[in-house]
Amino acid sequence: MVNITINGKIVQAEEGEMLLSVIRRLKIDVPALCHHEAVEPLGACRLCMVEITKEDWNGWSKFVTSCLYPVEPDLIVLTHSDQVNEIRRTIMDLYLARHPNSPEIQKLAEEYGVLKTSYEVQVDGDNCILCGICTRICDAMGFHAISLVGRGHGKTVAPPLDEPPPDCTGCLSCALNCPTNFIEFSDQGNKRTIWKKDFEMLACVKCGATTITREFAEFLSRNRDIPFEYFETCDACHRKETSLSMGRIAAWTKEAQS
Amino acid sequence: MKNRFVINPVLCTGCRTCELACSFAHSVDGKMGRSRIYPLDGGMTDLWVPVACLQCEEAACIKSCLVNALRRNPETGAVELNEEICVKCMACVAACPFGCALHDQQHDLIIKCDLCGGDPVCAKFCPTKALEYKPFEPAKKKIAG
Repeated sequence: MVNITINGKIVQAEEGEMLLSVIRRLKIDVPALCHHEAVEPLGACRLCMVEITKEDWNGWSKFVTSCLYPVEPDLIVLTHSDQVNEIRRTIMDLYLARHPNSPEIQKLAEEYGVLKTSYEVQVDGDNCILCGICTRICDAMGFHAISLVGRGHGKTVAPPLDEPPPDCTGCLSCALNCPTNFIEFSDQGNKRTIWKKDFEMLACVKCGATTITREFAEFLSRNRDIPFEYFETCDACHRKETSLSMGRIAAWTKEAQS
Repeated sequence: MKNRFVINPVLCTGCRTCELACSFAHSVDGKMGRSRIYPLDGGMTDLWVPVACLQCEEAACIKSCLVNALRRNPETGAVELNEEICVKCMACVAACPFGCALHDQQHDLIIKCDLCGGDPVCAKFCPTKALEYKPFEPAKKKIAG
């Protein structure tokens, strides 16, 4: 454990832990679009930039992405100094030029006082900020179905060859954790479509309710050693079954005791 | 793991105080969350059964979690979910054979009983002691049949 100063407050942190985790633990609102605790930090969105200095740096300070900066002893961190806010405003300005139609980015930029971009707006731009959360989560879960393809201006997130990815199981983790809700999917009744691939939802054998896709359930039972029957009943019906069997045991106990 | 969470359906009156206590204890931003404990009448007219996570030894939810968001707390023995890590893939909700991992649609969170970190609020508020958090004692009398 080492002592660091964040916004004038002395806090304890584990050495080597990333600064953003410490800041988030203190409930200080530092924006970050590409951060997810489930995956390794990447430092793609640049919004979590903070100012750091030390007492023996003779008044010098530097700007680092807090999600990638490990805690050092005696670090002095400023999360909302004027210069940091200025950097964030510039980044928001650029984001607004590239993704003018994203409500999430508009809201974040508004919080920092950027209502309109000062650059030329990219008319045919989409809402993908190329943060890589979707691909990193997909890799962390062990599917490797999508990845960032192309370079420079043409870089996008896509499955191999832009065809329905054979490794995708339709777990929806990429779409649900996308910071700008860019990834499209449809969930209608027993059918789910994502990345142009159609999936059959696994319906509960008792009530017909759906939770996950058949392919995801098969993946889990195959790789994680979970009986497939567990997935065939929905959670509400499972609860009913549990209460029924627990009630039966309790009734026997009651009879035996009386 | 000194204490155990004991459910005794014989004493349960179905008053749902545990549900209310759980919702308050796990509120998100001041809004009540979904309860992690469910008193159901179990199809037996005179018995209510509070259904809560059984903290299985070989838990299907831990096995099903592909990002290791579910871990066992060695102090309480409870399986705890780290909401920061959770990617909401619903694998645990589908995998739990007792239906005790839930999806809170209002807050869009996966929830499960974490024994309130070693001090279950539902047990404190249960008026009939159907829910208790007490040191484990083996049954004194063997029940026949």
